[in-house]
Amino acid sequence: MTPVVVLLNLALCFAGFGALALSLDRHHRDALGGRVPAARILPQRLGGWGLILLSLAAAVMLEGWNFGPVQWIGALTGAALLVVALLSYRPSWLRPAALAALPLGGLLLPVVLMG
Amino acid sequence: MRQGFRTSMAWLHAWSGLVVGWILFAVFVTGTASYYRAEISQWMRPELRAVQADPVRSAEHAVAFLKTRMPDAAGWYIELPKPEKPVIGVHWWKSLEGPFHQALLDPETGAPTAARDTKGGDFLYRFHFELGMPPMLGRYLVGACALVMLVALVSGIVTHRRIFADFFTFRRDRSAQRGWLDAHNVTGVLALPFHLMITYTGLVTLAPMYMPWGVQTAYKGDQIRFYVEAGMMPEMAAPLGRPGTLAPVGPIVAAAAARIGEAPEGISIYSPGDARPAVVAIFEEPHGLAHLHPQIAFDGATGAMLGEAGTAKAATVTSAVMVGLHEGHFAGPVLRALFFLCGVMGAATVATGLVLWTVARAPKGAQAAGFGLRLVRVLNIGAVAGMPAAIAGYFLANRLLPLGLADRAQWEVGAFFGFWILLALLGALRPAMRAWPEALGLTGALYLAVPVVSALATGEHALAGTRFLGFDLAMLALGAGLILAARKAARRGASALNSRRIPGMTGEEALRA
Repeated sequence: MTPVVVLLNLALCFAGFGALALSLDRHHRDALGGRVPAARILPQRLGGWGLILLSLAAAVMLEGWNFGPVQWIGALTGAALLVVALLSYRPSWLRPAALAALPLGGLLLPVVLMG
Repeated sequence: MRQGFRTSMAWLHAWSGLVVGWILFAVFVTGTASYYRAEISQWMRPELRAVQADPVRSAEHAVAFLKTRMPDAAGWYIELPKPEKPVIGVHWWKSLEGPFHQALLDPETGAPTAARDTKGGDFLYRFHFELGMPPMLGRYLVGACALVMLVALVSGIVTHRRIFADFFTFRRDRSAQRGWLDAHNVTGVLALPFHLMITYTGLVTLAPMYMPWGVQTAYKGDQIRFYVEAGMMPEMAAPLGRPGTLAPVGPIVAAAAARIGEAPEGISIYSPGDARPAVVAIFEEPHGLAHLHPQIAFDGATGAMLGEAGTAKAATVTSAVMVGLHEGHFAGPVLRALFFLCGVMGAATVATGLVLWTVARAPKGAQAAGFGLRLVRVLNIGAVAGMPAAIAGYFLANRLLPLGLADRAQWEVGAFFGFWILLALLGALRPAMRAWPEALGLTGALYLAVPVVSALATGEHALAGTRFLGFDLAMLALGAGLILAARKAARRGASALNSRRIPGMTGEEALRA
């Protein structure tokens, strides 16, 4: 069950970091062109932080206070590194990949809860 | 001269990192490899097959063997077979000062194993904190470097002005210096929780050795008393000082297994030739972060159960959790892969920092590089390319050295250091522009050679079975990555030659930027 929870953490953190990265002008320009529309900055940042916190909540609920935070921090590093790699080598893939990670996390959640 | 706080921290970061960087890189690489210590050991003893070994019979085999080797030992330790290490490990010693002897026995026959003589993953694990030196010296050196690493981490955090704004930033298409600085920042910041945790807990792991005075004073040299009271060891009877006979160990193992519900992972026997020997059954740590092994003590003369280790209190559990976090034994496959990734990023942080030091101080125009800069460049190549090459050489020697060679395990270690020296010499003797690509390319080729040589030497390859598929793929991935790095370095070298006159930032400017 633990590997599935780590994957769930990775998916949620990756989507969250993707949203945060695309709320910064420098990365928005590389990935989508142009500055971040002003109206999108706040929702994207709130959504990004929200997903990261949701990942922590899921880790703690499913793995307890001892393993949960450890797995969550590991997933944070892995997910952030993936975002940096995409931004450097395939910037246009970041938004679709981050959007795809959301339903993946959504699919893993019931698997985890039933397992 | 007045200097800002951040400027002085940048200076501290650059110099503290440089002084310990070469050793830290070796510590990070071998430590990261040690997350797969069991897998490496398995690969290095291809003769061993997974067997269902009986713990009771294995313990009896081990005692029969140890009685012939050193009946009057100060202590014996028996590692019972487990799926990832299907042999009996036996250790014996005359005194706690050493020397410590060891052998591997076949769990079926009890005779010394037919598997090749090698230290396996244990060599990399011990190198991680002893550097292949006399153990105490190596541990003190690694501890000192870890302390300076903490200094470098904290001063690096202070120096880095835009942790959040530059969180995802890696500008590899700008100047070389910008690219190295971004790579250093990204690998350092993204895995920062790991870097802080691993450095601090690493110090905690060896803290009782670095600072023994508290226990020495409070317990007047009676270390065992301390361990018993801390709940780390069960209470044991003291030896009587006259010869006696050890009770059969089989029933002791069976009783211990019945008490806990699983077979022990190891058996310690103290003063086995005494009239009152002590036998302790040690179990694998229960699922949890803490690195605390349940233990049961037995009277070695009668075989009677004496009692379990007491319940550990807060301080013991805290230290055990830190050791547990450092070793990551609790981690399943995915989490272990993330630990490994973090370890690689730690090594990369150190390596990029070392390279950045030289890039930021590269002379402009036709100026020649000074002695200090050339020395750092040469040591950088020797450490950053040499360490991985040494490990590849160690693996290759495992497959290529004749099986009957005397002191074979020691020759493998010799190959480790031999390849390291070879790469360091290459870095020192070749022209600066070509040293990096050649050293990285050669190291990459060594890794690519490992699965090929292994297949030719043992007949084990992906088409014949999947036993070592993961290991082979890891070697191929490392080799491909190193070759890619060599090609990048070659291109960088060529373009640096053409664009030397473009003014860049000086080192301190770059660190402050």
